[in-house]
Amino acid sequence: MPASIKVQEQFGDDVQVIFVECQNTEKNTYEAFAWKMKWMGNNAIWTNERVIPTVGRGLPEVALIGVDGTILLQGYPGDLGKELEETIAAEVKKSKDAPAGAPATLKKAWASFAKGDLGGALAECDKVGGDDGAKARAEMVARTQARLARFERMLAAGELAEADELLGALQKSCKGVAELAPKVADAATKLAAPELAAEREAAKAWASFAAKVAKDKPFDGGNVKKAESIASKHKGTKNGARAAHFVELSKINLNR
Amino acid sequence: MQMSRWRFALAPLSLVGAAWLAASMPVAEGEKVEFKFRESAINAAGVQGMADLRGKPILIDFWGKN
Repeated sequence: MPASIKVQEQFGDDVQVIFVECQNTEKNTYEAFAWKMKWMGNNAIWTNERVIPTVGRGLPEVALIGVDGTILLQGYPGDLGKELEETIAAEVKKSKDAPAGAPATLKKAWASFAKGDLGGALAECDKVGGDDGAKARAEMVARTQARLARFERMLAAGELAEADELLGALQKSCKGVAELAPKVADAATKLAAPELAAEREAAKAWASFAAKVAKDKPFDGGNVKKAESIASKHKGTKNGARAAHFVELSKINLNR
Repeated sequence: MQMSRWRFALAPLSLVGAAWLAASMPVAEGEKVEFKFRESAINAAGVQGMADLRGKPILIDFWGKN
């Protein structure tokens, strides 16, 4: 477990770690436990849904899904040892290159895409042309559209700090791309809407609080009081509700 | 009439059974996988499933609180 936290914190947005609780622990209880253990404060996702089957030799177990969507390794982390670390690093490197099987002529296009320059990448695809160019172009547009859809969901959930960060990347990436730039401009308008002013304030307060307490006695009395104050000051916002939820988590008896 | 009513009632059950079987069968290394969260996950930041993570390595850590 701490090893996977370390992976998430070391590689940041280049890797997605998903923690799957497998002992039917109630959702709030394992979330409170993760806060208490100082495992929050990074991009890791937490669920109790077995997103893929386990190989069933007991817990803990890890599975590494490669950039092509295939399972590369799965088993007891102690048995995988250094191989796991090395494979993750190799996959991160691969994620910045053209996908396996892509023609060499598209290398430059994928390099531009990895650097966040969709406009340059699409221009390269068009230069290559044919089925290969069209296929790569479609994949890059699809991945960017998926990020736009993710932005919309962040906005709906009041995750404005994350939405702001993603929007910045999309604005840079889609500059001059006729098929996507208007959608990004629309996203920027939505994020800047005056109706979101109260949510924006609340998001700022919650994000700053969460980042501060994640690694430093999260449920300490003073921190819980601070969360209560955020919840009360920003009542009626989604981030105020997040602070109130944190207060509830702090009351859970984790020794049961 | 009675028989077809039974068949109608059992059809969803067999679908659930097939889905359960598929979800519990181990996946071999090298096999392509795909998943979507049924409920929103904690700290998902807009991620609903694997489709949102295309081109990125994913490390799944199965653990137990106890």
